[in-house]
Amino acid sequence: MTLTPYQGGRRLMAPALVAAVAGLALTAVGGLVDPRRALFAYLVAFVYWLGIALGALILLGAFHASNARWPVVLRRFVETVPAALPLFAVLFVPIALGMKHLFVWMAPPETLAPEMAHAVHHKLPYLNAGFFLGRAAVYFVFWIVVAHLLRSWSIRQDSAGGATLTRWQRRLGAGSLPFLALTLTFASFDWMMSLDPRFFSTIFGVYWFAGSFMAAFAVTIIAATLSRPDPTAFGHHMSLEHFHSLGKFLLAFTAFWAYVAFSQFMLIWIANVPEEVPWYILRIDGGWKWVGIFLALFHFVVPFFLLLSRDLKRTPRALSLVAGWLLLVHWVDLYWLVMPHLDPAGPRPSLWDLAAFVGVGGAAVAFTLFRLRGASPVPVRDPYLEDSLRYLPQ
Amino acid sequence: MKAYVLGEFEREQPLYDAARALRAHGHESLDIHSPYPLHEADHALGLKRSTVPIVALVGGLAGAITGYLLQWYTVGHDWPLNVGNRPPHSAPAFIPVTFELGVLFASLAIFVGLLAGYFGFPRTHHPVFEVEAFRSASIDGLWLSAEVEGKDAEPVAQELRRFGARNVSIVPEAK
Repeated sequence: MTLTPYQGGRRLMAPALVAAVAGLALTAVGGLVDPRRALFAYLVAFVYWLGIALGALILLGAFHASNARWPVVLRRFVETVPAALPLFAVLFVPIALGMKHLFVWMAPPETLAPEMAHAVHHKLPYLNAGFFLGRAAVYFVFWIVVAHLLRSWSIRQDSAGGATLTRWQRRLGAGSLPFLALTLTFASFDWMMSLDPRFFSTIFGVYWFAGSFMAAFAVTIIAATLSRPDPTAFGHHMSLEHFHSLGKFLLAFTAFWAYVAFSQFMLIWIANVPEEVPWYILRIDGGWKWVGIFLALFHFVVPFFLLLSRDLKRTPRALSLVAGWLLLVHWVDLYWLVMPHLDPAGPRPSLWDLAAFVGVGGAAVAFTLFRLRGASPVPVRDPYLEDSLRYLPQ
Repeated sequence: MKAYVLGEFEREQPLYDAARALRAHGHESLDIHSPYPLHEADHALGLKRSTVPIVALVGGLAGAITGYLLQWYTVGHDWPLNVGNRPPHSAPAFIPVTFELGVLFASLAIFVGLLAGYFGFPRTHHPVFEVEAFRSASIDGLWLSAEVEGKDAEPVAQELRRFGARNVSIVPEAK
């Protein structure tokens, strides 16, 4: 199989770039008008889009760790989504600059409740500006290096061929998984869980991962469907069997998200410990209650029963609609996770939410498309490509 | 009385052709036995979608509803039970049992459904195993079996031979 390098994506890149500039500029204006609100909106957008890149990186590692043959045809796309990670390292700068507006432990006010002040003081060795930024640097360096090596070895194989580069990818992909899990968990502790210094939940990172991993499948499904008519893109080479399998994964990780969300909720609810339970009281009492119920129904129950259908999973357009819906409710999920610390009484959606979402998202989409160009859309000389192309699961 | 007509094929194509020819004559209860998966077999046999997923879904939903109602009735309604001062009807605490009973009923529905509805329990083994040569179905032989009325057995056997089948045998369904 020989393929010309992918040169498409221009039609989507231009509007994405416009959205990025407009959205980020508007968020910057918001930063001047109401820095706290704009930064919270930006944080939600940042963890949303970064989570998708990390989800794709873990998916790639899992493909290599399991020596999977079927996804080879779509692996180049999964390799390129994490190639946006250097962009996210740059997009982290506003969060680093605005830390004192986001995190109460940065500059605890005198009026802080005693138990909160105690928690802030107790966690000072971990939650302080220097260590926080140092950790962020370690996470990003690790993520960027792993993503870069896996992708560049794969691209080098397009011209070099042979099995050696496959072996390297298998080793790094599998070997990096435990460290990806740890860095992702600690990143979620730092950037989201520490918004309430009292709260701690060891499964918190898995919660962020579950939604993000599902979103990475959703993005892959949508990209594959969009690129199906284009013979120079990866979606063109995929069969309905590939879509069916991606749909099964989407179903599985919708259920996994619900499982993790409920596990975290039920343990804290049933233990009813004063340190943990306020975090949930904020989210299941008052104005945020309806968001929580919405998530249970539309992030789990409805998509779960829709995705049970075999016909739906084998109809790329229908599957993409469900995937798009899940991408939307995943944003609601992260909004519900972060925003109650800004608006304890209930959701108060603002223009800055939309601006930040579109701004960070536009930048991520444009940058990913830019990195897709110039390389073959499919790993053409991967030894398992033939197996992937005639994939027939039973 | 029902009978099974069996024939062994060496290659895949005559097997599929024979299956399609038998279906054209109105014999729909066909099966293919082979030592490795044959992806074309589904089409040749004209298999419809399996009903097992529906059985599992109905079983699972029935289990989940049973699990929830059981807890609601016993500790929430009939004999309200105070556990750690939570309300007697506490939905979050009921979910794990609801989920587990859903899984249990779904798997039992598949097990019992397959045994009774598909494998013809209390039949303990399938009549095709009466044929000694059928052993090759797990070694190197491709077998077509047709479930037919007794009077049709001989014409179907002729048809299988016409497509080059070896070891053509007629096994009556034991009563």
